[in-house]
Amino acid sequence: MATVVFDSIFKSFGSTKVLHGISLDIANGEFMVLVGPSGCGKSTLLRMLAGLEDIGGGTIAIDGRVVNDLDSKDRDIAMVFQSYALYPHMTVGENMGFSLRLRNDERKRIEDRVAHAARILNLEPYLKRYPRELSGGQRQRVAMGRAIVRDPKVFLFDEPLSNLDAKLRVAMRAEIKALHQRLKTTTVYVTHDQVEAMTMADRIAVMNDGRIEQLGRPLELYDRPANLFVAQFIGSPAMNVFDGTYRNGAVEALGARWPCSAKAHEGQPVKYGIRPVHFDFGSGVEAEVVVVEPMGAETELVVKIGGQSLTVATHGRSPAAPGDRISLAPNAKHAHLFDAASGARL
Amino acid sequence: MTNRKLLSEAKLWLVAIPVLLWTLIPIYHIFLFSISTKDSAFSGRLWPDHPTLHNFVTVFKQEHFYLHHFWNQIWNSLWIAVAAGAITLAIATCAAFSISRLKAKGGRTVMNAALFTYFIPAAFLAVPMYKAMGTYGLLNNRWSLVLAMVTLAAPYAIWVLKQASDKLPWELDEAARIDGATPLQLFRLVYLPLMVPSLVAIFTYALLLTWNEYLYAFLLLSHENTIPLAVGLGHFLASDDSPWEILMATALIYGLPPAAIYYAFRRYMVGGLTAGAVKS
Ligand SMILES: Nc1ncnc2c1ncn2[C@@H]1O[C@H](COP(=O)(O)OP(=O)(O)OP(=O)(O)O)[C@@H](O)[C@H]1O
Ligand SMILES: [Mg+2]
Repeated sequence: MATVVFDSIFKSFGSTKVLHGISLDIANGEFMVLVGPSGCGKSTLLRMLAGLEDIGGGTIAIDGRVVNDLDSKDRDIAMVFQSYALYPHMTVGENMGFSLRLRNDERKRIEDRVAHAARILNLEPYLKRYPRELSGGQRQRVAMGRAIVRDPKVFLFDEPLSNLDAKLRVAMRAEIKALHQRLKTTTVYVTHDQVEAMTMADRIAVMNDGRIEQLGRPLELYDRPANLFVAQFIGSPAMNVFDGTYRNGAVEALGARWPCSAKAHEGQPVKYGIRPVHFDFGSGVEAEVVVVEPMGAETELVVKIGGQSLTVATHGRSPAAPGDRISLAPNAKHAHLFDAASGARL
Repeated sequence: MTNRKLLSEAKLWLVAIPVLLWTLIPIYHIFLFSISTKDSAFSGRLWPDHPTLHNFVTVFKQEHFYLHHFWNQIWNSLWIAVAAGAITLAIATCAAFSISRLKAKGGRTVMNAALFTYFIPAAFLAVPMYKAMGTYGLLNNRWSLVLAMVTLAAPYAIWVLKQASDKLPWELDEAARIDGATPLQLFRLVYLPLMVPSLVAIFTYALLLTWNEYLYAFLLLSHENTIPLAVGLGHFLASDDSPWEILMATALIYGLPPAAIYYAFRRYMVGGLTAGAVKS
């Protein structure tokens, strides 16, 4: 178990700057998720922590010790790759025990550790098989087993679930989470899937274009996104956002008045954000239903207001049909205001 | 649809049959000679009246003037071919590993140089090679031919192995590094086992190239006891009245090991030599 500290990390590949000064403290035993769109630099950051990529500038410390100049093997970390990277010529058991074998551990000890990890991951029947004889989910678990066996200071995951089908992904998500609760090893987990981030993380660092946009607990990010980017990235279905002007304690936009609790200057151009679930039906803004998407437990409506498409989600079933006119009441307490120019939260 | 298929099949046969005949007829010719008696060898028949294995007995018992060193020479052929194969393999594997997996500095230059050597025909290098071996005092030593063949085979071997190495997933190296492997452990425990098919292919390539070599063997080795069988066979042609039936029997024996090796490793040969030949 260990803390991980990134201190103003820079990185460029040739003349392309990829990371612009990232600082991030990860607590002992914390499950930290780095999330962001493709190409934002999250894998690069993780690989620098793993020692697979040179550190361009700044320092990385594990457990208080600066590791910039340490080899991967001396950092006491374990990594699970998106492609699993299992050794094809070794059995499951040999794959999991490989790191111990390299450390010259005793045979008996290696066997015990592998058996222990296999028990945790339900891999006991497969120890003698080769990776090519396993399903995707089983391979994924072997990759995790390889990490567990070592009992490292930090677990690193780079999009470990993206090669699995949707159902398996949900199951493995829960398994990784349960594993973390059991082992309490500091974990850095990279994903571009905000649902994974929300469900697994103790804290999330939302990255965009080589910077951390916001760092916080999942529900903090959901309730109080620091800027437009986080607002639109976190939450599913995504937040509705449109331009408006602040006047008299509300926002004028799309030919209607939108209530809000945040304050801005009179006449200031703002972006008004409201999540699909934060509408009530009743008196308020007039809207025309365009699409109805029933999902069983909830229903999503795509509606048009003043020429703009918005998403509205309701619990249960909705009697609305395409073409209906309905009246929506946005919940002022849950409305978000952002500065139109900078995108910062008001 | 089936018509079209038939047509393309027919075209294939049209190419295949001449190629097959073209390869098989000389071999059949050799075979025919080797089982004929001296007087019937040139009779022009498709099958001799009195087929005999006597020629082979003559060869194995070394009972002909040109064959006094038969066993010695076939041993030389084998020794030289295996040594050249092994050394080529060792050099090419290390080069491919350090260039492809360790990204050694100057790797590109080595690869370009390796390719460049093929612009110079091997025959051009024969005389300089002869001089070099003379300088090292290796003439008439089996090592001279081994070293010469290694220099001829290594560039291609490096090239092929480098291409094959590039195909191994990079994450395997990273995973091994994180698991704590030193470069040497990575080489021994991950790289070599995964490269086995290509290694077998390259070993047999260098082995067969050396086994079949004549020019360099003829130049560098001249003593009866050091020459390989290929050169020994050449001596048959020294006289006006060559014992063709015995020459052909020897040639047939000489041709068997490559055929056996190729057959044994055919799976690796096709896969290994073409691996990396095209970008997937
Ligand atoms: N070896 C490299 N050479 C040059 N550019 C690179 C290299 N590796 C990454 N990059 C660039 O750095 C940027 C960040 O890459 P990175 O792999 O960290 O993205 P990511 O956030 O993990 O994206 P994804 O979700 O697609 O995996 C990208 O623009 C990428 O093109
Ligand atoms: Mg990535």
